[in-house]
Amino acid sequence: MQSSPLQRYLHRYTPAAPLATFRMAFGLLVLASVVRFWAKGWIAELYLKPKFFFAYYGFEWVRPLGPYTYGLFVFCGVCALLVTLGYWYRTAAAGLFVSFTYIELMDKSTYLNHYYFVSVVALLLLVLPAGRYFSLNAHLNPARWRSEVPRWTVDALRLLMGIVYCYAGLAKLNSDWLVHAMPLRIWLPAKNDLPIIGPLLDRVWVAYAFSWFGAFYDLTVPFFLLNRRTRLWAYVTVVVFHVLTAVLFPIGMFPYVMMVAALVFFPAEAHERFLARLRGWWNTTPAARPSMSLVYAPRTRQALLLVLGVFFVVQLLLPFRYLLYPHELFWTEEGYRFSWRVMLMEKMGQVQFKVVDSATGRARLVNNYEHLSVLQEKMMSTQPDMLVQFAHYLRDYYARRGVHNPKVYADAYVSLNGRLGKSFIDPTVDLARVTDDLRPKPWILPFDDEISGL
Amino acid sequence: MKKTALFALLLLFTAVGIFSCQKDSGVDPAGSDATVDRKALLTQWADSLVKPGYQRFNDKMAVLKTKTTAFTAAPTPATLLDARQAWQTAYLEWQKVELFEFGPAESVSLRNHFNIYPADAAGINRNIITGTYDFEVATAIPQQGFPALDYLLNGVAMGDAAIVQQYVASAGHRRYLTDVVAKMDQTFGTVYSQWNSSYRDTFINNAGTDASSSLSRVINAYSLYFERYLRAGKVGIPAGTMTGTPRPEKIEAYYLKGTLPLQLATTAHATVQSFFNGRAGRPSLKSYLDALGAKDSRSGQSLTSIVNTQFGVSAQQLSSLGPDLFTTITARNADAVASYNEMQKAVRLIKVDMTSALGITVTYVDNDGD
Repeated sequence: MQSSPLQRYLHRYTPAAPLATFRMAFGLLVLASVVRFWAKGWIAELYLKPKFFFAYYGFEWVRPLGPYTYGLFVFCGVCALLVTLGYWYRTAAAGLFVSFTYIELMDKSTYLNHYYFVSVVALLLLVLPAGRYFSLNAHLNPARWRSEVPRWTVDALRLLMGIVYCYAGLAKLNSDWLVHAMPLRIWLPAKNDLPIIGPLLDRVWVAYAFSWFGAFYDLTVPFFLLNRRTRLWAYVTVVVFHVLTAVLFPIGMFPYVMMVAALVFFPAEAHERFLARLRGWWNTTPAARPSMSLVYAPRTRQALLLVLGVFFVVQLLLPFRYLLYPHELFWTEEGYRFSWRVMLMEKMGQVQFKVVDSATGRARLVNNYEHLSVLQEKMMSTQPDMLVQFAHYLRDYYARRGVHNPKVYADAYVSLNGRLGKSFIDPTVDLARVTDDLRPKPWILPFDDEISGL
Repeated sequence: MKKTALFALLLLFTAVGIFSCQKDSGVDPAGSDATVDRKALLTQWADSLVKPGYQRFNDKMAVLKTKTTAFTAAPTPATLLDARQAWQTAYLEWQKVELFEFGPAESVSLRNHFNIYPADAAGINRNIITGTYDFEVATAIPQQGFPALDYLLNGVAMGDAAIVQQYVASAGHRRYLTDVVAKMDQTFGTVYSQWNSSYRDTFINNAGTDASSSLSRVINAYSLYFERYLRAGKVGIPAGTMTGTPRPEKIEAYYLKGTLPLQLATTAHATVQSFFNGRAGRPSLKSYLDALGAKDSRSGQSLTSIVNTQFGVSAQQLSSLGPDLFTTITARNADAVASYNEMQKAVRLIKVDMTSALGITVTYVDNDGD
């Protein structure tokens, strides 16, 4: 076998501590997210009360489970806890991935990039050997204990973090963000009552500074985190940046998830010190034993590398799928999700649906709020795929109520990043007969403007 | 790292320099009276709109109470006319405060107690006969407030003489009329006194932009009022825009008819307009939006002038529905529908463009930017 640099890299080993701390921190954060979600009453509000849910294409079978939805959240929380403890690690990671992803797939209107991030990380943890060190598994079954893991298993997490930041940065390289400081120019003055920084937020130049720094930060921070000399400072900016976003925007747990996840860039010794301190709290002194590397059987190793390879190729390509669609991404949102596009748009809309009886020609207007939650209506108003889904629901709803072959039309009005609102979709197209799939939607009206950039 | 940081800063300031030079020509600098100051705006609303508005309405309510008491004490054609006149005046004044359904008004559901129509005449008659009713239950919503008074003062019998006779003959009618007014008085009284005590400060100090902030609540109430209770309630639903069939009997003040229904609608519309514009030199939505520099980035036109133009068109189309809205809805239905459509355009500017420019959040749920 030749020994190429890649081959040598794939045979390098590193302490397992970063994987262990990442596993614990991530598990705890997911657990906290679940508890927070429940405590805020969002399970009932988002998954029990609405009469209709916006399924993802191909996942129409994923539905809230009625009152059992609480059970789903309990299961998810328990899995997160088990992942933290490293007990039944592999099963718990699988359970965490499946249950969290199921929750996210129940309704599109709750889509958040950080939920997607959690799902993606849970999937990675499922294949990475994060349960072999500083875990209950290894404690109860010392034969499973490994203090060193292949280098690439830790680097996989770093690579994912790098992708998230870089793609979020690339997404900011557009004219609305850089040239017009939109949408920060709208969002920042809305926070001008904050102590100290408040008065600054009214200034236009501050919106520009935030926009440019944000793009620069996202594009470069993974590299500064990788570099030994810049790492500490880079991490300080990670904390400052995310604390700032937490103060300014209603983005929930995202800032904390990123702050904690970025710790994976620190070297093994730092993680080791941290774990030693934890051991100190528990008063457990580990039996001094020689370090032991996790050596995969060649087949297993190949399979894992193949899975990771495919995973990262998908991660790298998926955000660019929008190129397959002909029109402005921010307007049509075709290929917008799952691409690390965060905080890029101030988009708002209003839509009035009209249902027409094919036999009698009688028309009636729909009160959206009778069918949808505030959040659902807000999200639907600006997203064409959701408009079709709701139109299909209305078609079936009115057909059950005796309307013959209902035709459904939508008069939608949408404003994007400070542009005056305009008609969003063709009001003469019968959405009841439009198929809901991934093809470009020709009935989305032109944007009549241009946002240049990526 | 030092070099990189320096470079980044340099890049930043160059960029800021370039863009601020570009922008300064387009954006008018915020003047002394045009600041993005939410507390000043909320203070103006509380002290110059809500409290004085409620005070004027309170006066009209007092007259209404006196006149209806006089009528039930001695039902004659003259006392009936007095009571009806007081009802009309108070109803018109109500149009100027109905949009303040936030804070105390929201927590007691003031509108539900004052102006949900069409009145449930059958239910009212049942209540009069049984003599037992609870104005707090959901079914009683259309059995009270101004619409119930409309029925009680104009619709319980044909002609004034017969109406007077009804009240002379029936203690139940006298009692129900008294109770309806008393309930209005009592419900409004709690709202009014809260504004005059602690709520005013609570209101102006909640100066953020999240979903529970005063601004968010006000804008929510304002656009909801315009969309649902003015556009749909006063014109759309009677004109049949929701169902395809005109339903003129669903207009406001249906039992009186005549010029009042349209007068109520135009008063409401004028209120919506003047709430937006405020007084010159004082904080208002208009001055706030101008201070933000809100404009259509496609055309460069200011959002407030776009809104005001549409308000004008919409007000004109609405006033063309006179003199008698009931007749117009059947005789010139297309005009009523056109009025609804013009209001709809204004609703969108308020609900979408204005709300978006204000940067307020409408839900409590996490959001990472649409």
